[in-house]
Amino acid sequence: PHKQISGVSSGCQQGGCLTCSDYNGCLSCKPRFFMHLERIGMKQIGVCMTSCPPGFYGTRSPERNTCTKCRSECDSCFNKNFCTRCRAGFYLHLGKCQESCPEGLVRSDTQRECV
Amino acid sequence: RIQDRQGPAAPLCPPPCQCEEDGIFIMVDCSEMGLSSVPTNLSPLTTYLDLSMNNISEIQPRAFHRLHLLSELRISGNQLRYISGHDLQGLNNLKVLMLQNNQLERLPDDAPWDLPNLLSLRLDANLLSEVPAEAFRGVRSLRHLWLDDNSLTEIPVMALDSLPSLQAMTLALNQITHIPDYAFTNLSALVVLHLHNNHIQTMGSRCFEGLHSLETLDLNYNDLQEFPVAIRTLSKLQELGFHNNNIKAIPERAFVGNPQLQTIHFYENPIQFVGKSAFQFLPKLHTLSLNGATQIQEFPDLKGTTSLEILTLTRAGLSALPLDLCEQLPRLRVLELSYNQIEDLPSFYHCSALQEIGLQHNQIRRVESSTFHQLTSLRALDLSWNIIEWIHPDAFASLHSLIKLDLTENHLSSVPVAGLGGLTHLKLRGNTELYEAFSPDHFPHMRVIEMPYAYQCCVYGSCDNYKPASQWDTEQSNTNEDLHKRTVAMYPIHGDTHYDPDLEEFQLEIEESKLQTSVQCTPTPGPFRPCDSLLG
Repeated sequence: PHKQISGVSSGCQQGGCLTCSDYNGCLSCKPRFFMHLERIGMKQIGVCMTSCPPGFYGTRSPERNTCTKCRSECDSCFNKNFCTRCRAGFYLHLGKCQESCPEGLVRSDTQRECV
Repeated sequence: RIQDRQGPAAPLCPPPCQCEEDGIFIMVDCSEMGLSSVPTNLSPLTTYLDLSMNNISEIQPRAFHRLHLLSELRISGNQLRYISGHDLQGLNNLKVLMLQNNQLERLPDDAPWDLPNLLSLRLDANLLSEVPAEAFRGVRSLRHLWLDDNSLTEIPVMALDSLPSLQAMTLALNQITHIPDYAFTNLSALVVLHLHNNHIQTMGSRCFEGLHSLETLDLNYNDLQEFPVAIRTLSKLQELGFHNNNIKAIPERAFVGNPQLQTIHFYENPIQFVGKSAFQFLPKLHTLSLNGATQIQEFPDLKGTTSLEILTLTRAGLSALPLDLCEQLPRLRVLELSYNQIEDLPSFYHCSALQEIGLQHNQIRRVESSTFHQLTSLRALDLSWNIIEWIHPDAFASLHSLIKLDLTENHLSSVPVAGLGGLTHLKLRGNTELYEAFSPDHFPHMRVIEMPYAYQCCVYGSCDNYKPASQWDTEQSNTNEDLHKRTVAMYPIHGDTHYDPDLEEFQLEIEESKLQTSVQCTPTPGPFRPCDSLLG
């Protein structure tokens, strides 16, 4: 199970914030942290994290580190074309989440992989 | 939550952590709690442990030795400088280990980590300047490895030899300057390789040997001086990026070994020369952009590159286009050829999917009836800044979807209107021999029109604001009264209440519809640009 339960404290108490406001949370992050906009009701709260939340992947660059949404069939991914864990009903093979497996491999529901 | 049901037995959830049950197992979250060491009384049934964002600078001996069922361990965002093999003893089932955003300066060499089931290892955002040869000897099942944002100056070739199952790796944001031959020989399962934001200047011509499964290669933001010919061995490559480098030429048959390529990003390179056969036989390529390659004199031979949808070839030295251009590129949607020296145009008849054509800043003289014939999907056509003197009367007749036509700065004395009924934008500025005042009836959907002379805008009612004020006011007020009378007749207002929401809404609609039909025509007439043509 990869269920992430760590609730990131909102507002200005987060460790990764560089600038922040109580209403919008982090406005900018310390170096090497990922900035992610988390939706809470109608509001968007800026959150600075060491890894992007489930369903997102991180891209580091000299200017900033961003979180981008994985493909819809992935629970987690390495980049937009490479999944590391699939959503229920899909099975992972070489970074792709598909509803069926290549010849010679069978679907494992517990691992959500072709094995 | 487990906290509420603490019994006298050793607590399952060590304070101040938060825990959640997952069947008989528990998931423990100790993130952002100001901890300086790993909690000691963790339950052997722990499968998920998050220690991220604390102040842990070292892992005390045997901290995890009972956690044989732990599947995911997060210690990112702490102050760890070194983690020995002993520190992680007992984690036989660990699948995900997150160590990013620490201060790791080196990895164990003599007694490496023994994590036989590890799949994902995050070491990004640390201070690693090298990776010892034996560092990964105990993680042979690894699939995903993050080493980006460290201080590596070389590819850790020996260490990578221990990872036959690796599928995705990033070495981005390091200080690597060279990729030696056979750097990734044992990584036959690698699908994704990110090397962007390094200082790579040179590569061995056999440096990618062994990467039989590679689909994505990212070499962006480096200092490559030559085209990476080493990609020739990557037969499964689908996405290649080498933009923001220092490459001046793309050789003949550059991608002969990469028939699966779908996207190639190479902008922001000082590319001067492109081999005529460079982009042949790429049946899955859908976008090709070449800007400023001034040494390109001939249109590239795109034989076998039949799925191209977007072709941009600007600021080169093209003077002609192949007659069979559309036979080679039947799926073309966007053709951008501005800033060349093109004189004659072929017929684009077979490019039936074309939606946008950009031919501005060329040397085109004539437009024949066949040039744009049957391009029923064409929406935007830019022929500005040419030397067009003549356009065949039927040249635009079949362009039923055309909404934008730019003929700015040409030598036109007349413009055929057949087929232009759908235009919303028409630009004719700079055609000094074009005196005709086009009737608005030709362009029922027009919104923005630019004319050579101000008087040509009068047919669009632009002269009203030029008439003497008094005459203008009385005339305008009469029309308002008529409008009010007609409105009231449609919406009888009760004697006692003057406000009627429906009427309000109806009047707003009238105001809005008045705005929508007004055509913005320039240059607008004025005292020095009279409505009557000075030339009669």
